[in-house]
Amino acid sequence: MTSTTGDTPLPQSATAERAYYKVVIEAPIETVWNTLVKTDEVLPFFFGAVCRTPNGLAPGEPMAMQSKDGKYTSVVGTVLEFDPPHRYAHTMMFTNMDDPPSTVIYELKEVDGGTEFTLITENVPAGTKSEKSMAQGGPFITGNLKALVETGRPLMSGRMVTMLGPVMGLFTPRVCRSENWSFDRIRGL
Amino acid sequence: MITDSDMDAIFHALAHEARRRILDLLRDKPGQGVGELAQGFDVSRIAIMNHLAVLEKAGLVISEKDGRVRRLYLNAAPIQMIHDRWTDEYSAFWAGRVTGLKYAAEAAAQKAKTGKDAT
Repeated sequence: MTSTTGDTPLPQSATAERAYYKVVIEAPIETVWNTLVKTDEVLPFFFGAVCRTPNGLAPGEPMAMQSKDGKYTSVVGTVLEFDPPHRYAHTMMFTNMDDPPSTVIYELKEVDGGTEFTLITENVPAGTKSEKSMAQGGPFITGNLKALVETGRPLMSGRMVTMLGPVMGLFTPRVCRSENWSFDRIRGL
Repeated sequence: MITDSDMDAIFHALAHEARRRILDLLRDKPGQGVGELAQGFDVSRIAIMNHLAVLEKAGLVISEKDGRVRRLYLNAAPIQMIHDRWTDEYSAFWAGRVTGLKYAAEAAAQKAKTGKDAT
């Protein structure tokens, strides 16, 4: 199994090619959109995290993916675009990794029989742990969002992370504690 | 979930060696154009474009217009859905362990034979 993620570290500025993850979800576009942009609720397709914001999702606003109890923050970012129900984009950075932020774009399009959902990742720092995590996150998010919207239930991979959620705190490094990631700090990133 | 006609298209697309190789090449170098991709093959550019049409119809390849070039990307989501159809918590764990063992053993055997690291 070869991949573009080599062992040689690349210069900081190098970013990986865009990556696409696309599925057709058998549901109206509004349903898919409303599921995707839910805040203050556990989202199985985002690894059981809750998306929290100080003033809702709007361009320029900070966002944090937190554990249900709010103690840990796994991902932080800034909303770049919010255009219901077609396009949503934000920067994202893993709090436990020292890599610069990537960009995630979600595109929704009405098609025969449902909604075409595309997740695109951009500016992913090449040759980093973040790149690996983003590559694993893509199929996980698309697959679990599709299953959740269509059947009301995430895939087994999504059920497992939700089950593991309370346990994960024990293995989460200190740097991920939410007190280290105030919305003001996220704004300044 | 994934329908039988979706699956027919995916398996049909995967049933040709050249199309599987196209997916390998796009995984290793996402965003390449048709011309660059075709250089890796002995067949005509037209033949490659026909293969790409089959792959795009199955949702395995995504193409984006970027000025005058058509940039190509692998979409692994349909393959993930096939995997999910036959896997549950229990079998995913053991299937993962068994295939992991197979790859590790084969790499070790290869290394012993050639004295080099298999990549």
